[in-house]
Amino acid sequence: MIEKKKLTIALAGQANVGKSVIFNHLTGLHQHIGNWPGKTIEKAEGTLFYKGHTIDVLDLPGISSLSTYSIEEIISREFIAIQRPDAVVNVVDGTVLERDLIFTLQLLELERPTVIALNMVNLLKKKGIEINFQRLEKILQVPVIPVEAIYGKGITEILEAVIRLAKTEKPFKPLKFGKEVEARIEKLIQSLKDAEVPYAKRWLAIKLLEKDKEVEKLVKEKYSKKILEEAKKLQKELEVIYKHDSSFVIASERCLLASRIAKKVIKITEPKKISFAERLDSITSHKILGYFVMILILGTMFLSVFKFGDWLSSVLENIFASWPEAWEEVFGSSLLSSLAWAAAESLVALTEIALPYILPFYFILFLLEDCGYLARIAFLVDNLMHKLGVHGKACIPLILGFGCNVPACLSCRIMETQRERFITGFLVTFVPCSATTVIIMGLVGKFLGIYWALSLYVFAFLIIFILGIIASKILPGEPVELIMSVPDYKFPHLKTVLSQTWFRLKEFLFIAAPLVIISGVIIKGFYLAGLLEPIANYLSPITVQFLGLPAITGVLLIFGILRKELVLVMLSVLFGTSNFAQVLSPVQILTLTLVSMLYIPCIATIAALWKEFGWTRALGITAFKIIFAILVAGFISKILLIFW
Amino acid sequence: MGEKLSDKNKYLIDMKEGEKGTIISICGGQVATKRLMDLGLIPKTRIKILRKGLFKGPVEIEVRGAKLVISRGLAAKILVEPI
Repeated sequence: MIEKKKLTIALAGQANVGKSVIFNHLTGLHQHIGNWPGKTIEKAEGTLFYKGHTIDVLDLPGISSLSTYSIEEIISREFIAIQRPDAVVNVVDGTVLERDLIFTLQLLELERPTVIALNMVNLLKKKGIEINFQRLEKILQVPVIPVEAIYGKGITEILEAVIRLAKTEKPFKPLKFGKEVEARIEKLIQSLKDAEVPYAKRWLAIKLLEKDKEVEKLVKEKYSKKILEEAKKLQKELEVIYKHDSSFVIASERCLLASRIAKKVIKITEPKKISFAERLDSITSHKILGYFVMILILGTMFLSVFKFGDWLSSVLENIFASWPEAWEEVFGSSLLSSLAWAAAESLVALTEIALPYILPFYFILFLLEDCGYLARIAFLVDNLMHKLGVHGKACIPLILGFGCNVPACLSCRIMETQRERFITGFLVTFVPCSATTVIIMGLVGKFLGIYWALSLYVFAFLIIFILGIIASKILPGEPVELIMSVPDYKFPHLKTVLSQTWFRLKEFLFIAAPLVIISGVIIKGFYLAGLLEPIANYLSPITVQFLGLPAITGVLLIFGILRKELVLVMLSVLFGTSNFAQVLSPVQILTLTLVSMLYIPCIATIAALWKEFGWTRALGITAFKIIFAILVAGFISKILLIFW
Repeated sequence: MGEKLSDKNKYLIDMKEGEKGTIISICGGQVATKRLMDLGLIPKTRIKILRKGLFKGPVEIEVRGAKLVISRGLAAKILVEPI
């Protein structure tokens, strides 16, 4: 037999089982994160070399099952069935083996060579769990490798097992369900005998009994419609016997099978003392204390990120301060050179946001996620979030939004359905980001006092709340209830956190840079051609008459599309003073800040919205925000003028 | 489904912290029910209420050795026989 030198393996597993840690161990920095063709789902791949083999590793999206629940699940099972990786590595959390076995059983139904990486075995003893690995191996008929991913133990053993599996194609012996179900699966397999579809016949039969919509479509298109009728008849028979929907019957059978296996291989003795993780959990998830801890942790996070960001961005500003002059010296001061500088300046500005703010934000957030805290926040705020038509997990994008709206929009992927993603993404664009904070503090905070600034934040929360309620009422579809596995607290794995931070940061730059550079050049061109003031004059019915601002603010707001803090920067450039109280009345200061807060998402955010939701929705949000900002700010300025 | 078969039975949302029970039925939507089943929550499964959030939920339960958080709305559709 010729030994295959090039292998493909797919990592599959539920959320929080340590899959990404194993992926990082396998591929190191040789990974590539892209998208699945035509989908907004992430595809992480990497390559490694081991004993003369080139092994491509693909990290399948973290999923909770292989039923058609989400796009991720369909992608995963299609990949396994159609791309036929040489082996599937199923990462399982040993401390919750019984739960994870249900997923493993679904995976085995796809009949690809599988290795089970039984992770977290280092925690078993402390939790009073004993697992008989050999027995599990025997029952499932696949290699079971004990792994301690965070210490890198068991990784080479996984590779050895994969290579061994790839050499010997073993006939597959399925695990059997109950008699009644098995008989009907057998019947369907017989009828599917001649079907030319890439999936295993038994898997198709199971899925047909489970009323899997995708499989029904596939069989109808590729094989015959008649089989669906037969499946329907068999489903009915099961429903008569078990008095439950046949899809539930199959799921129950799988659960029962998992329980039976678990009983044979797991021995649990209740640990005598409550672990530190449990104690921590009882404080951080506490009905009342939990909220204090949350505010403390998030508050510390924001303060330290902003402190650090302030410091680093001023350092960077000093470094970049001399660049415009140097540029002019080298390239002269022609039109072309100015435009080229506009492009370079956009990149510089992007760096000044990415390094000081987004980098530490991502780092802390991934740290909190890795140790398990984010799931607790989702638990604490779930009720509140349901009022906005989304569930607890939506708090993560919203928190990220305070740093920068771009990564926040991208992180809406954690929500299960398109509807949830869109509502969250829409609301995120109303969260005051770090650039908006610069405006709020630099204008209102400095000239009207900190209480006015804080009340603007309260106002922003109110708007998010109200718009959330409205959006969840208007958008079609049912709200999704939160069903979330809660991981135990654990010590974060620094390498995984760092590599996640790094890849996210890279993604941010790649998504934001093109549009930021192009629009930077265009606006600079308009500016040099003297077109901005005429445009501002065109806008004056809105800016001057409706909002009561000086006409020149039109120019500011155009620059603000690039980066919000430019509103403040250009204000001092155009008025030639940084004492804005001299040139703007208090009401004007408030109005201008309100408009800057609410109007158009910055161009980088539009790029992110575009990527996640398509251009119609991105432009829809943009148009809505512009109109909404003008109406709200105009209305409030009119009210304020009565009293002021 | 939907009716409480005996007075003893309670919906998950009405159970107290620390209380244990056996699942009788889940009357959520098709998708939610399927998803719960994929996580091992089927009738006859034993569960324990670990904690509840402020204002009656969400509910955190222990099922098959794992912890699971379920929204208030869905927890009101899961019928349990306390033990």
